[in-house]
Amino acid sequence: MSAKNENPKSEFYHDRVVTALVMLAIVWAVLGMAAGVYVAAELVWPTLDFGEPWLSFGRLRTVHTNVVIFGFGVSALMGTAFYSVQRTCHVPLFLPRLAWFVCIAWQIILLLGGLSLLAGITSGKEYAELEWPFDIAIALVWVCFGIIFFGTIAQRKIKPIYVSNWFYGGLIIVITMIHVVNSLAMPATLFKSYSLFAGAQDAILQWWYGHNAVGFLLTGGFLGMMYYFLPKQAERPIWSYRLSIIAFWAFTYSYIWAGPHHLHYSAIPEWVQSLAVVMSLILLAPSWATMINGIMTVSGAWQKLRTDPALKFIVLSLAFYGLATFEGPMMAIKSVNVVSHFTDWTIGHVHSGALGWNALITFGTFYFLVPRLVGRELYSVRLANIHFWLALAGTMLYVLAMWGAGVSQGLLWLSLDEFGELRYSFRDIMASMPPYYLLRLVAGLIFLSGAILMTFNLFKTISGARTIQVRPPAVRGAGASV
Amino acid sequence: MLLWLFFKPAKAFDVLSNARPTANAVFFGLVVWLVAIPPVLAYIGGSNFGWRLGADEPLFLAQDVLVKISIGYFMALLFGFVSSAVIAKWMAATYGARLSLGIHYALMTIVGAPLVVGSIIHLYPHVFINIMVLVPALIWSMYLLYKGLPIVLRISPERGMLMASSLIAYLLVAAVSLLGVTVALWGRGFGPAVGI
Repeated sequence: MSAKNENPKSEFYHDRVVTALVMLAIVWAVLGMAAGVYVAAELVWPTLDFGEPWLSFGRLRTVHTNVVIFGFGVSALMGTAFYSVQRTCHVPLFLPRLAWFVCIAWQIILLLGGLSLLAGITSGKEYAELEWPFDIAIALVWVCFGIIFFGTIAQRKIKPIYVSNWFYGGLIIVITMIHVVNSLAMPATLFKSYSLFAGAQDAILQWWYGHNAVGFLLTGGFLGMMYYFLPKQAERPIWSYRLSIIAFWAFTYSYIWAGPHHLHYSAIPEWVQSLAVVMSLILLAPSWATMINGIMTVSGAWQKLRTDPALKFIVLSLAFYGLATFEGPMMAIKSVNVVSHFTDWTIGHVHSGALGWNALITFGTFYFLVPRLVGRELYSVRLANIHFWLALAGTMLYVLAMWGAGVSQGLLWLSLDEFGELRYSFRDIMASMPPYYLLRLVAGLIFLSGAILMTFNLFKTISGARTIQVRPPAVRGAGASV
Repeated sequence: MLLWLFFKPAKAFDVLSNARPTANAVFFGLVVWLVAIPPVLAYIGGSNFGWRLGADEPLFLAQDVLVKISIGYFMALLFGFVSSAVIAKWMAATYGARLSLGIHYALMTIVGAPLVVGSIIHLYPHVFINIMVLVPALIWSMYLLYKGLPIVLRISPERGMLMASSLIAYLLVAAVSLLGVTVALWGRGFGPAVGI
């Protein structure tokens, strides 16, 4: 599977670390999704925590979010960034030993961090729950990730920096910035610290972090994945390269302002809320430009669907990307948010992005990447096709269950009786939710079973094989295209 | 034809693939009437039994509000239907599919038919029970879209798969827009009394 025109004088691409990160991402995916299914079951049968604090919803839910985002998501992003930056720059990875350090250190942080969350050690900041020793370790690993990535780009043999690298670069820079600032805290003990910020400022900062983690990690990072792997799979160039670059800068500029839409009708200034609404609405333009670019790229490559089970995952992920990036700005509008906030509609929105976009595009990428890493055919195309339908059914069912639950909750929270008093208590409303939560549990089980099929399929593909060695191609002329 | 959709969908698609329906004939002969069914059923259910959202007491709305909501529901469904067909026609050029608006109207009618049949559950307006009936109907609709689109529009199954997925993106957005517009209208005093 090595390139015919490879440069015999160059050293090989460093792909073993990519294989390791991809396989670890798969393990985290199954663990994280299983934790999600368990907490979904706890919402139907609360006694499933068996009175054990470490099995309680509050602790397991943070384990679920941390493991799927930082275990599955970030391991996949690191692996695909290392793979694609070498190939778009035509040079092996800069400081490959440091790449192994990043891979291993990240896994240790996740393992110990996950255990600390189970033990109830938390800073209380959503998606940034890990305490200060972990925060320092994360910052160090992230800086090392940046050194490898930008070091590789600095050594590139191709003059233009391909668009996927702009997105991966944005991921590295912005996540470092928001993680460090949001984690600034005064340690009290080894496992307890207090934020340097207080009150409304702390809240604004937290959602500046939280929303841009969604923006630059779950959106921008995965767009980097899409911009490299979609054209590769489709064997066609991006439909409009110019549009991809314009969308990158518009995306980067507008996303960073949108965080305060998580804090509507709170104690933060009104103009900050309004600014967040406007920027959230503007964000729709670059998001949809990217979706259209992806769909148009793949539209001419329909013949590939006959043989390639991976491509349809990516096509469908773009549909859910379109949904999530429309739904988000819509829910940021205050007259919608007043009903949707504090309801399961938000959970449904997050999962239309997390399952429909992040997970599906990663599954598609892995089905493409793993056979190429080891120079083998995929173990079972049939299993991959079954996985596709399970993933679609699971995501749709999840989203519909949460739409139903969320809109009912929103209406019931706000319902008034003839005296102008709230008609229903919180307890009454929650008592009517188990049917929706049961439906969501079924959806989660369907989605998880698909992920387990993929795990089996990819581990069988890789079993007993070694990562093949590929050299960069010989480059003719400094401005050669990627 | 409706029964074929549930028992022999391939036959219905074959018949349609050889037909040349005009847009006006499909729209006025079929679409307007089918699209009116869910709002009428919702009106009957809502006025007789009230909406059950899970809480103890059903939510009864005043007759004039219920009529307005039902008309709004009808208009939203009609807009959703026409816009879906027009968008499908717009996409057809990219995927080398048939371009007549009539055939896209007919295809969307077939795809939407299970949802119209499923809307009979609007007669008992309990949100969760409605979801339990409409989710399988939606799955059947999606199956009809993926299965029928390439046959009716005479393109390869692979191109059909891509076009159907692109249409799903639009349909999902249309569905969530309906939710967004609905709750925004509640906040403006249109619909149930909410404390905003």
